[in-house]
Amino acid sequence: MKAAPFDYHRPETIDDAADMLGALPDARVLAGGQSLVPMLNLRLAYFDNLIDIRGIRELSMASTLSDTVRIGASVTQAEVELNSDLARSVPLVARALPFVGHFPLRNRGTVCGSIAHADPAAELPAVLVALGGTVEVTSTSGRREIPAGEFFLGTWWTALKEGELVEAVRFPIAGDRSGCAVREVARRHGDFAIAGSAVHVEVDDAGCVAHSGIAMFGVASTPVHAREVEELIRGARLGDLDIEAVGAAAVAGLDDIPDDSNASSLERRTLAAVVARRAVVDALSEATR
Amino acid sequence: MLHACFVRSPLARARIASVDVEKACAVAGVRGVLTGADINGEVVDLWYSQVGPDVPRTPLPPLAEGEVRFAGDPVALVVADDRYVAEDAAELVAVDYEPLDAVVDLHAALDSDSLVHEGWAGNVCAELATPTDHLAEAFANAAHVVETEIHQQAYVACPLETRGLVVEWSPADGSLSVWASSQSPHDFRQFASRLLGVAEHKIRVICQDTGGGFGQKINAHREDIVLLLAARHFPAPLKYIEDRRENLMASSSRRESGRVRMALNAEGVVQAATIDHLSNAGAYPIPYPLISSAAVGAIFPGPLKYQLGAFSTKCVFTNTPGLTAYRGPWEFETLAREVSLDAAARQIGVDPAELRRRNMLSRHDLPHTNALGMTLTDMTPLETLELALEAVEYEVFRQEQDEARAQGRYLGIGISSYVEPTTTNMPHHGSEGATIRVEPSGTVNVYLAGGSAGNSLETTAIQLTADALDVDVGVVNTVQGDTALTPFGSGTAGSRSGSMVAGAIRETAAILRNRIAEVAADALGVRAEVIEVAGGSAFVEANPINALTLAEVAHHAYFGKDAAGGLEASARYHTQAPNLWANASHICTVEVDIETGLVRILRYVVAEDCGPMINPNVVEGQIAGGVVQGIGGALLEHFEWDVDGNPLATTFVDYLLPSTTDVPIIEYLHMEGSPGPGPGGFKGVGEGGAIGAPAAVANAVADALSPFGVELRELPLSPATLLRHLADGGAG
Repeated sequence: MKAAPFDYHRPETIDDAADMLGALPDARVLAGGQSLVPMLNLRLAYFDNLIDIRGIRELSMASTLSDTVRIGASVTQAEVELNSDLARSVPLVARALPFVGHFPLRNRGTVCGSIAHADPAAELPAVLVALGGTVEVTSTSGRREIPAGEFFLGTWWTALKEGELVEAVRFPIAGDRSGCAVREVARRHGDFAIAGSAVHVEVDDAGCVAHSGIAMFGVASTPVHAREVEELIRGARLGDLDIEAVGAAAVAGLDDIPDDSNASSLERRTLAAVVARRAVVDALSEATR
Repeated sequence: MLHACFVRSPLARARIASVDVEKACAVAGVRGVLTGADINGEVVDLWYSQVGPDVPRTPLPPLAEGEVRFAGDPVALVVADDRYVAEDAAELVAVDYEPLDAVVDLHAALDSDSLVHEGWAGNVCAELATPTDHLAEAFANAAHVVETEIHQQAYVACPLETRGLVVEWSPADGSLSVWASSQSPHDFRQFASRLLGVAEHKIRVICQDTGGGFGQKINAHREDIVLLLAARHFPAPLKYIEDRRENLMASSSRRESGRVRMALNAEGVVQAATIDHLSNAGAYPIPYPLISSAAVGAIFPGPLKYQLGAFSTKCVFTNTPGLTAYRGPWEFETLAREVSLDAAARQIGVDPAELRRRNMLSRHDLPHTNALGMTLTDMTPLETLELALEAVEYEVFRQEQDEARAQGRYLGIGISSYVEPTTTNMPHHGSEGATIRVEPSGTVNVYLAGGSAGNSLETTAIQLTADALDVDVGVVNTVQGDTALTPFGSGTAGSRSGSMVAGAIRETAAILRNRIAEVAADALGVRAEVIEVAGGSAFVEANPINALTLAEVAHHAYFGKDAAGGLEASARYHTQAPNLWANASHICTVEVDIETGLVRILRYVVAEDCGPMINPNVVEGQIAGGVVQGIGGALLEHFEWDVDGNPLATTFVDYLLPSTTDVPIIEYLHMEGSPGPGPGGFKGVGEGGAIGAPAAVANAVADALSPFGVELRELPLSPATLLRHLADGGAG
């Protein structure tokens, strides 16, 4: 298991990285390498040029802005997980991180890398969709922002164009009366989910859902924004929630559920309904506690 | 050092129309590419010591020639200056495959028109059946006849250190050095000697710190054979380290299936039982697989008393990796029997613990000749069951289970008891040698064949030697795993090392103690008979003040007037009992989430009897490792192929080993109640954990789901499998 030959580059500025990505043939960005390196070693992926962005200081910052948390492209998952300020500001991110592999992997894996890799069964892309976050990208033609809802196009396929690299992702900061939960079914802790649900809810003074952000993962070729569930629970209180309807709504729109040796499409649908129901109940319980 | 990499078949079955190595050979840094045509003809004699030369020899070409027979079948060997270059070049070896229909399913293989190997009709590699006529009456008169079918998925040994070796041929003196990852250095040497036609004493095999074997590394595999043959083609040491994908795809696959029939009387006492067993031989089993298959049949009665039994077994060729030993190679007997007992308990409405009480042998029933003619001795089956039941507070659990069910939570408890023949006296495994040398300084070295792959054989040997000579463990060192330095022994296999090494050390230390006494007597001017050897010194009991330390004795032995004798001894131990029976009862409790199909293990209790423990840490370590592998087999691990024989789990992303977060604290109870007939009463304990665990977990899950009328028939018990069973309900 040795990678095919490639040239390794380690730029020190974002502009240099963008220049390299624009100019070098068959180039790929390397951050934590938790997905890319195994694929290279298994020779499932071949690139002539790898651009390691971990030497770029500007990408190594995670910061709290007025209403969002901004996480630079080389910030590791562990750095976010261990930062209690960030965990308070975007609790759904903090809640999701323990499900991402195991701690030693999160010491290398980056938040942006997981999102850019766009595995449909991964937690962080779903969290970005649930919270309506934003991906900041850059290239030699300039910077642009891509809303989460437009970023994920398919399995390992995003709206990033040739020559673009992810500079940061932004997650909106949670309100005071909010609750969140990540529920998933995986064969073992840390595995990609067979089906999962990430839920963020905010309630009003009466304990009714004022706003929610819900996404499903592992059940399609991208994370799925569960708008029907958000509609269903708007204005609802924990006590009068029709939880079976929540599960049904979470899977109602799914028409291309993966079928593999871990679970058939039908079994995934069943599991997705269960995790969505449980995550909504958990999040709402937390918000109204 | 040169580095090797295999070109492997991407197809499960195909004709090889051509192999073109030209482009690969042209890569800078490539030293050569070998194909079957280049080296297969160099094999002088190929058979395995464990089974001898007289069993049928199943096909075993070093490299595939003419046809590939599983996805992963080695077709060519690329040798280059480093492994990167070797892998680059391997991609350029152009093999023209003409796909053929692959034989994958175990049952379908028997009726398939396609043959894995020409001349092996019905894809039957080996078969054996005992008469059944004498059972007809028992089944006709039975109050209950219970029939169960169980399928055990392919799951593999997964040593964390994969297979691999370094070979170095020295043309000047015609000698070969091998650094191997093997459980049996001396057997590896014998094997290489036969294979190459090179005299045994011209081959040196060194095995140090092997990172796991679990049976996979008892015998040389085709990759080892190819490297041994390739050694003479290259003027430098040649290294091959298997990668994980290769280990999963190509190292081995155990996959079994069985149909059990049990006849019980109205009291729930088993009167007769049969098992019809199928075992996957794969394409290239190593060694001849009937040995372990027959053991499944012969040990199937396990700890049960019934006297009427029969079995049939077939080993079936398929286009999958070849069967090799995996920790408790006959484990299927325990899975099939214990799952059937629980099915019987549910069918006739008796508690599964109670059903076992009515059927299991106690120490007072032994010796006992089982229904297939095996004589069981020196065990505590019923006693370990009672011990485990007490530890797990069985009755209390049943109450908790009722209360939980009332709240919609599903708890289950599973029992699995087994008896295990350890330390056989089969010719190749029946003896073991040791050399113990007191060095001139008084420190001690004990030389043993070794083959430890994480079995703590080093600790065990040092401890046994220190005890036998009555010296501090701190002054003893051990040298193992080098055929040039150590006495012959057949390595770690069949849970033999503890007892055999104890025997070898006992025999050797007895001689050495006499020699110590002789030297000390000479130095002290007394008769040897009055010398005591104890506490690290030699002395006359009446006059301990004049005691000689071992260092002083050694000084006399090497530099005194009788220096011809030195201070070392060698001896061999030959075990007489056909085997040493060990036994255990495992009890597992689980909670099943019926909405997700996820299983959480709550408690895991092992009550075992391996005789007196040489070292409890080693015993518990062995049990823990085996239990974890069994849990993996019950819940997670699945080396699966699609219908065309393509492997679906070729990395640890898909081949799911239990990790530390997936296994419970294992609770150990040691009976030490029935010493075996071997040295110290010690019995084997290396494999039992893996034998007992799959059935304990499976029974616990089935027990949890019993309110739904679910009968589980296949492993692993994945969430999807359990959801399917729950959806089907009683249809199971």
